[in-house]
Amino acid sequence: MAVIAEKPRPAAPMHLPGAQRERAGWPKFLPRPNPWRRAWFLESFTWLYLIWSIVPVALAVLFSFNNGKSQSSWQGFSLQWYVGKGDTSVLHNPELHHAVIQTLVLAGLTTVITVPLGVAFAIGIDRWRSRTAAGLSFVMIFSFVVPELLLAVALFFVVTQLLRFIPLGTYAEVAGLVVWNLSWPAIVVRARLVTIGRVYEEAAADLGASRIRAMWRVLAPMLMPAIFASAVLVFAGVIDDFVIVEQLSSTANTQPMSVLIYSNVHSAGLPGPALNALATIMLGFSLIVAVLGLLVYRFMTRQERHGSTEALTSIAGM
Amino acid sequence: MGAGEAGGGKAGDGKAGGGEVGAGEAGDGNGTTDRSGMTDRNRDAKSGHIELASLTKRFGDVVAVAGISLEVAAGEFFSLLGPSGCGKTTTLRLVAGFERPDAGRILIDGRDVATLPPHKRDVNTVFQSYALFPFLNVAENVAFGLRYRSVSKADSARRVAEALELVQLAGYEKRRPGQLSGGQQQRVALARALVLRPSVLLLDEPLGALDAKLRRALQVELKTLQEHLGITFLYVTHDQEEALTMSDRLAVMSGGQIAQLGAPREVYEEPVDAYVAEFLGVSNLMDATATRPAGATEVCHVRLGEFDLEAGCGRIDSTGAVKLAIRPERVELGAYELTGGNRVPGMVERLVFLGSATQIFVHLAPGVTLQALVRNDGRALPWSQGSPVSVALPADALRVLATEVPAFEEALAPAVG
Ligand SMILES: Nc1ncnc2c1ncn2[C@@H]1O[C@H](COP(=O)(O)OP(=O)(O)OP(=O)(O)O)[C@@H](O)[C@H]1O
Ligand SMILES: [Mg+2]
Repeated sequence: MAVIAEKPRPAAPMHLPGAQRERAGWPKFLPRPNPWRRAWFLESFTWLYLIWSIVPVALAVLFSFNNGKSQSSWQGFSLQWYVGKGDTSVLHNPELHHAVIQTLVLAGLTTVITVPLGVAFAIGIDRWRSRTAAGLSFVMIFSFVVPELLLAVALFFVVTQLLRFIPLGTYAEVAGLVVWNLSWPAIVVRARLVTIGRVYEEAAADLGASRIRAMWRVLAPMLMPAIFASAVLVFAGVIDDFVIVEQLSSTANTQPMSVLIYSNVHSAGLPGPALNALATIMLGFSLIVAVLGLLVYRFMTRQERHGSTEALTSIAGM
Repeated sequence: MGAGEAGGGKAGDGKAGGGEVGAGEAGDGNGTTDRSGMTDRNRDAKSGHIELASLTKRFGDVVAVAGISLEVAAGEFFSLLGPSGCGKTTTLRLVAGFERPDAGRILIDGRDVATLPPHKRDVNTVFQSYALFPFLNVAENVAFGLRYRSVSKADSARRVAEALELVQLAGYEKRRPGQLSGGQQQRVALARALVLRPSVLLLDEPLGALDAKLRRALQVELKTLQEHLGITFLYVTHDQEEALTMSDRLAVMSGGQIAQLGAPREVYEEPVDAYVAEFLGVSNLMDATATRPAGATEVCHVRLGEFDLEAGCGRIDSTGAVKLAIRPERVELGAYELTGGNRVPGMVERLVFLGSATQIFVHLAPGVTLQALVRNDGRALPWSQGSPVSVALPADALRVLATEVPAFEEALAPAVG
């Protein structure tokens, strides 16, 4: 026994525990894998991915601060494209700053209309059990299935041919965005409803609350985080939206940031860095909404353990 | 965890003496409340009477409750006992108003409430999951229902404090449900219901989520509380020991029906059929044939294998295939040489020392294995594994039970037996 134990084992690195070393069937000449080793490949891949996706954005942001018209050679720092005197800055160019306002107006209106509708939709489907409800619950994932362009073109047709009393422009844009974004609150709130179950409402009813009061006093506070999360999703989604608003906008007055950037980037209309500035503002809005959303959500769900994971899954609509 | 143990310890003490004191104090408090709070609900001695008449509830093809009729007296502790899926919860939910019955009536104090929504019924529920509102603290949870009772702010605060005192949770007002142990949450749920002074309290396995020690402590507490407050408790459990120790009367349920209804002692000692006997804890069940029903002798002659026995209780008028039941503590073991009436030879299969008693498994000559329970009197037992013994099955302990005929089929077709 002692002799065998003292025999050197060159193939087994010293830091491996016995169990690992004794694994049967592993060829003697191969070094054994260390299960605790760093995952070099995955780590480098992650870094590459981050660089690949962040660097172009960072460059675009950087050149919005360029002291010159170039989008590729750095000429010093300035805020001229944001607040500069001429009519090429976002602040003073009517077209540019109108786009900022239009984006905010669309995001605000769409959120205010979509969220209550979506909440009602979710509650309705959760409570109304029938075949129709099952069908409708499929419609909830509508916007994840239908290509946005198809919906945009269809809406364009509807607005211009059928519902001609809706003029192209802000009204049509909001209508389209509501349809496109309704899935978010519907799915996020529905998921929350399913996890909550009926028992809290039953408890409230048992204690003397009528149905409406139980909904208001028990369901509403419990749904609040989900409602808020879906509002953030809708708001951020509208800021990013391009396909639908592009189809349904009319004059330059109703073009949000995304459409304006798109229509100027290949033509020599507005100077490049001004568009970068506009894009940076768009990015800023999205980031602010997301960060604010996450913070408020975590504050709202601070009572619940595992708050942060749920924040993520809820925001992701799972 | 720590909090849970603390609560358990507290509850355990309550059994010895603390509980008495607490109950006494609460009693005084409650007495004064009842005098001053008369406007709230005039509680005279006889409220909280429940009557269910042919209550039926179907879910699609499943008949969850199949025509239950029972009556619970005001102030009674009544349990619904049965295995999983037998319709206990559904029955309770029907009484609470969360489900609408397909047929039958629910009378509370003589008034048919079957069509009233839950918030209009003078019953409150303690849910198995407690269903405490997570976004409200303990005091707000308890005060929740008072909002709908036109109780003044000051009154409400006083009643919340009293209710929390009653369940020994004073000092926890500002905690959230998530910061309480299971046992404490259970007490909050109880306080939340009791603060409304319902005439009937429905409890759906309220101790189901707790560990065995805490369960036993809370069983005693709950029972004391119920006796003290005089509220009707309709209590659902699948734990036969819990039902037997706590209830004034109980109903053993099976497949949406009541298999037997009676006082714990009655149901335990005189099960009507094999199902009830089996469900109410260890009982030896044997297949036998009744050869001659009881005549003037008051005993029924049965044949177990090749042995003729006399059985003195149960359905002694039966003939044909029956089940014989005998409690382990009534099985008597003696020296193998002994012969006589109602004795069957057997062999000791296994001995299990239980402390206060020894459990002995005996294989009888007719091919069945019986359990016998022999009290421990300090002397060693004369048997060991493989010893031949003579097993006496006293006629007055041997029950004749109907075989697989559930109570309801029998009711439909009395000719079967
Ligand atoms: N909402 C429902 N929809 C369909 N079937 C139901 C529903 N609620 C209960 N059932 C069925 O009715 C039967 C009785 O259920 P119930 O919940 O009353 O059982 P239980 O005695 O409380 O059981 P447990 O001890 O497991 O709680 C079961 O077969 C169950 O599947
Ligand atoms: Mg149940």
